[in-house]
Amino acid sequence: MSMGGVTAAATEVVAPARASQRLRVIDAALSCIARAGTKKTTVDDVAREAEVSRATLYRAFPGGKDAIFAAVVETELARFFSTVAIAMGRAADLEEVLVNGICVSATYLSNHAAIAYLCDHEPDLVLQRLVFGQMDQTLELCSTFAQPFFARFLDPVAAARGAELAVRVIVSYLMSPSPSTNLQSEAEVQALVRAFILPGVEALASSSAVPVAPHV
Amino acid sequence: MAIANEELRERILHATYDCIARWGVARTSVEDAASEAGVSRATMYRYFPGGREQLLHAVVEWEYGRFFQRLYDAVHDASTLEEVIERGLRYAHRAIAEHEVLQVVLKTEPELLGVTLSGESATTLELIAGFLTPYLEHHELRDGVVVAEAADYLARMVLSYMGAPGRWDLDDPVQVAELVRVELLAGIV
Repeated sequence: MSMGGVTAAATEVVAPARASQRLRVIDAALSCIARAGTKKTTVDDVAREAEVSRATLYRAFPGGKDAIFAAVVETELARFFSTVAIAMGRAADLEEVLVNGICVSATYLSNHAAIAYLCDHEPDLVLQRLVFGQMDQTLELCSTFAQPFFARFLDPVAAARGAELAVRVIVSYLMSPSPSTNLQSEAEVQALVRAFILPGVEALASSSAVPVAPHV
Repeated sequence: MAIANEELRERILHATYDCIARWGVARTSVEDAASEAGVSRATMYRYFPGGREQLLHAVVEWEYGRFFQRLYDAVHDASTLEEVIERGLRYAHRAIAEHEVLQVVLKTEPELLGVTLSGESATTLELIAGFLTPYLEHHELRDGVVVAEAADYLARMVLSYMGAPGRWDLDDPVQVAELVRVELLAGIV
């Protein structure tokens, strides 16, 4: 800062200002979705919520509503992954990778206002990503993110499969809650991990017959 | 009387399914389904007062039920826990891949399936868990394993893999055996 010349400082200020304007619009859109969903939210609603003009909004997002919503998904996914990464990164062993990853993911997703609104009012939008081909994409996206945390303790193939299994557990228990296992309870998740998940993942790692899985 | 009503409902669902198979969801109207079933428009609305949307969701549920009946027929004579899950996953994977109507709907109207299928998921999990329970009871289990808990976990994972194989090639019997005997059952048997 103190070393920067006037022109350098000026150009440095412009880019962050644009970035923060984008973020302001994204956060405003997120609040609108949490209140009214995606169908009823208009570009004007977002501009009002963000306290920016329509012109400013379109300068930040020339693609309008679709571009804003795509940026919301991208930003929220990044926030979700970074929260889960912090939890999995501090794990001391494989059991903690599983427990922290599952528990923190489930807690984050269960307390996300926009996701909750969409599940209640526009369930198609959420649920179609969790069946058949779109579920395969969801599995690949999330397990590719989680794989390196598992790979600290496992070979790469077992790590990818272990990560995928954890994602399946999260989706299953969030979609169909179990009376005995609340994924937001660390003790209950730990019991599930110790009973069924960890033995499976560890057995995969020591199984010599594991063929390299084709990547979907 | 009640039986006749059930038969007519079934005929309407069957006819609607045939229309969807031929023309897709978007081009199937209540009128098309009525003429295919040989019933009046009034009869259609008596059975499905919610109209087209209710009819479409009912067809998805109906075919979903038929799918699980076929799955049951394909695996119910298996003799061990390992065998029944392996055969179930392989059958379901193939049946879903070869299900032409399902594949068309997934391409054109994926939103039709998410809500209906997730609405069914609690019932389906109970159904699969109930089906697996005797297999667990007849198998030697690891110390401390509670049959009901193992059945619930297995049902969840079986349903998950049936719908989306992820990184696993469920056409390959070697991988299916690995998935079932190693990943799914290591903590149970």
